[in-house]
Amino acid sequence: MMDYEFDFAEILLNSDLLLRGVRLTVALWAIAFGTALVAGLFLGIARGSPRALLNWPATAYIEVFRNTPVLIQLVWFYYAFPVLTGLQTSPFLAASLGLCLNSSAYCAEIYRGGLQSITAGQWEAGRALGMSYWTLMRRIILPQAIRRMVPAFTNRGVELAKMTSIASVITVHELMQEARTLATQSFLPLETFTIVAVIYFVLIYPGTLVASVIERRLHAKGGQ
Amino acid sequence: MRYDWDFSPVWRNAGPLLEGLGNTLWLAGWSILLGLGLGLALALLRLSPSRIASVAALVVIEFYRNTPPLVHFFWYFFGLPIVIGVSMSPFLAALLALSVQSGAFFAEIFRGGIVSIETGQWEAGRALGMSEARLMRRIILPQAVRRMIPPLMERGFELVKTTALAATLAYGELLYRAMVIASTTYRPLEVYTAVAVLFFLVLFLASLGMRRVEAVLARGHR
Repeated sequence: MMDYEFDFAEILLNSDLLLRGVRLTVALWAIAFGTALVAGLFLGIARGSPRALLNWPATAYIEVFRNTPVLIQLVWFYYAFPVLTGLQTSPFLAASLGLCLNSSAYCAEIYRGGLQSITAGQWEAGRALGMSYWTLMRRIILPQAIRRMVPAFTNRGVELAKMTSIASVITVHELMQEARTLATQSFLPLETFTIVAVIYFVLIYPGTLVASVIERRLHAKGGQ
Repeated sequence: MRYDWDFSPVWRNAGPLLEGLGNTLWLAGWSILLGLGLGLALALLRLSPSRIASVAALVVIEFYRNTPPLVHFFWYFFGLPIVIGVSMSPFLAALLALSVQSGAFFAEIFRGGIVSIETGQWEAGRALGMSEARLMRRIILPQAVRRMIPPLMERGFELVKTTALAATLAYGELLYRAMVIASTTYRPLEVYTAVAVLFFLVLFLASLGMRRVEAVLARGHR
């Protein structure tokens, strides 16, 4: 053990750098989550479809993205994807692409589970009224299913927020990358990474709290 | 654009890559063991009647569940050595970061499992004159463990994926080996694709195994 003088002031002087990082972190999160909420719905429907032509590709896509580390996905989109397509991807584009595709796969599973939890009687009743598939989905099924899916989506948002830090590995200047720069420049890695961990916690913890409140409220209503 | 795939750099480096996969599993295995121990300790503290112990455990659990693992990798590798005055090997830093992080998640699974057992079981045990420790060992845990196994396995898979972050500390696991090979052979597409396939195979086979275990557990119980 040795005595160590903590020097947090030096890091706080550079708060503008960290704030800029936070902005990019939030941007990455919003892009990926927004895309995943939309793309996940269609993927989830395809995944639950009895038609092999829809089901198989969706299943393969979801399993690949859920069973490989997200860091490898980002590295792949940054270093390998340009070789294949000839399109040069910027770090931000590669990170957004990787995070969007990854989160879409997870959201698809949430949609599939939520949609399957709606009893067949709801579908039959809607069809008996002459509703088309999409009207039924929009007016009857989704409104009921989404309530049950909210906690799972909130948890996904939390996981995604943590994942954005991995974009630093392909040099996206989000919070983690700014922290790494700051840690080397200031020679204060201990203080830097402690403060950055706290910043992430402050950003992410409200999401976890919201998820648990919603979950409790759903349970109180008997889960329906 | 036409691209000529050439996987020969991957085959030529199959040895280092497989060794990297071995290191990945080695790191994951030790982290899971250490994480399970830490998680059990945290869960027991969390459930203990002492308010200080319970709040302290809660703070650790919530902090590690709500911060990115990559920050912890860097904190343990670059930050902790400054406090304790001993430098860290990449393996040790990754092991610590992974086990504390997954320990926090394991703790919630343990706690949830124990709490899920109906109070009637506790009351019946007490009525038979069992001590708390004995009641926990003979009545509560055997029932709770069954419910804990699927989420514990799920977390284990998450941990295996998270080990890839150790590449950022230059620990010679699968992804780091791939990065080195990709930069010396100029074949990033083939090398990273091969590595993604390797990870996929390991995790996909493991999750198929998990489904079997879940089926067996469900059969034994209702």
